Amino acid sequence: MKKYWHIITNEIQRQFTYRASIAAYAFGNIAELVALTVIWTIVYRNIDVIKGYSAHEMISYVVFAWFFSFLTTTYSFEQNVARDIHLGTLSNLLVKPQSYIRYVMAVATGRITIAFLIVLVQGAIVFSFFRGQLTSLPDFFTILLLLCMLIATYFINLFLSIIIGFIAFWTMEINGTYYSLKVFSKFMSGTFFPISLLPAFFMKASFFLPFVYTIYIPVQLYLGKISFVEGLRGLAIEILWLVVLYVIIKIVWKLGLKKYESVGI
Amino acid sequence: MAIIEVKNLSKTYEYYKKQPGLWASMKGLFHREKLYKEAVKEINFSIEEGELVGFLGPNGAGKTTTLKMLSGILYPTSGEAKVLGHIPWKREPKYQKQFALVMGQKNQLWWDLPAMESFILNKEIYEVSDTDFKKNMDELVELLDIKDILDIQVRKLSLGQRMKCELVAALLHKPKVLFLDEPTIGLDVVAQKNIRDFIKDYNRKNKTTILLTSHYMEDVKELCKRVIIIEEGKIGYDGDLASLIEKYAPYKVLKITFEGEGVKEADISKFGEVHQFTPNSITLRVPREKAKNVARDILSSNLPVDDILIDEVDISDVVRKIFSNGK
Repeated sequence: MKKYWHIITNEIQRQFTYRASIAAYAFGNIAELVALTVIWTIVYRNIDVIKGYSAHEMISYVVFAWFFSFLTTTYSFEQNVARDIHLGTLSNLLVKPQSYIRYVMAVATGRITIAFLIVLVQGAIVFSFFRGQLTSLPDFFTILLLLCMLIATYFINLFLSIIIGFIAFWTMEINGTYYSLKVFSKFMSGTFFPISLLPAFFMKASFFLPFVYTIYIPVQLYLGKISFVEGLRGLAIEILWLVVLYVIIKIVWKLGLKKYESVGI
Repeated sequence: MAIIEVKNLSKTYEYYKKQPGLWASMKGLFHREKLYKEAVKEINFSIEEGELVGFLGPNGAGKTTTLKMLSGILYPTSGEAKVLGHIPWKREPKYQKQFALVMGQKNQLWWDLPAMESFILNKEIYEVSDTDFKKNMDELVELLDIKDILDIQVRKLSLGQRMKCELVAALLHKPKVLFLDEPTIGLDVVAQKNIRDFIKDYNRKNKTTILLTSHYMEDVKELCKRVIIIEEGKIGYDGDLASLIEKYAPYKVLKITFEGEGVKEADISKFGEVHQFTPNSITLRVPREKAKNVARDILSSNLPVDDILIDEVDISDVVRKIFSNGK
């Protein structure tokens, strides 16, 4: 699949022409983390343990949740998909012997590559800043499992972005849906705080959605709050969600394309 | 055997009506009046290998809709079409590798990268071998004279240069059929001519079947022996450009210049219908079959003729006439 590899490298090259934009993203990433750590540091001034989290564990949670979430974000890729549809770029892509779904997956992956590297560097800086306060590295197999989970997380995020982008087949505006889902998924995935702080009902409900497996479970594994086997189970559920989302993509694509073919947009 | 075969092809779009105003917008949330527009109505034509056919018609006549159906982007409401033996809207890779679509108003090149990157990507997408790629690339670069701009970001190129690169991207896999939708739109006269000359040469050398839409009559006049005129979704004319002119323009134009003092309008109006008049140059419209005789009469009269030129009517006038006849 040499063509999709070329799409990835083209997209990486394209990203290099927008160096300023990448730097701007990087700044936003850090700002979010600073806000979260400041809040928790203040909260823990007078309390030792909150729902089983010590101050160090909470800071570790927040730092790693932040790190994992920015390693696996698609940076609003739904906008790209929507733009292809609205501007009719899709027509140019449809007449070529290639699969559009694979094409967008390649573009998305090329698109995040540089930002991904920047997050790695940022992570290293943040870890050294908080050294002594963070939970230390788990064993090799746990790290390996964690990597697999994060790869699955990225693809869950990507598949969701593609599905939301496809809404553009029916409406001229996807921003509302996109924004709501973004906030909702960040909340439900436990990016801002451990989901276990929520009332039991929310906690239970969250396990029926994919989000909790994308950030909360991997961080729990890292912190040693769940066992390796529970981690494996988390990965299995992520993979199950990937299959479900992929089927949804295929269905929505078919329906959307039917509309596109009949209207021309 | 025909390369492109279209039978009773129709396309109806659905759309919604909305009255102006906020209240109407709110009502629209619950109920919308559905309307239908027949963009293409039961058209029939066939095109042989190597033909370069012009597809003419005013805005919204159904030209682009037809091209989109033939390239598989749109699904027809009814009717059939076959291009190179394939049904276009099945979008079989085997078919897709044999044709190309160039839209003057939409680009396929990667905007932020030099055109070369898009070419290399297309090489992979269309699975062109290294040797063919090099050969086709050299040929196209030479013909279009774009060696110097290959490594410049597409966004930095002029519209004319970009169009040349679009053509290269579309032709790298040596398509047997090429659909050109307004390839010269927005270009200046020189750039238009360059693109035109290229299309002409390319068609002659490679025997590529080309279907072209354009607003510019020059394009059609220069390039196409055959034209299909489409208006309000129906084919108004399909045939030779030359006989089209004969049929709809039963007169020729005489352009005459006079020496010295020139002439008076009254002296000249007896020869034919005067279209433009200054004492030293006039334009006359005369019936086609009389053109030669009138020219001879003027030359042998005592008018101070300096030069005389017999010309065809401007083809845009002809087409305008066909369109206004339809109404």
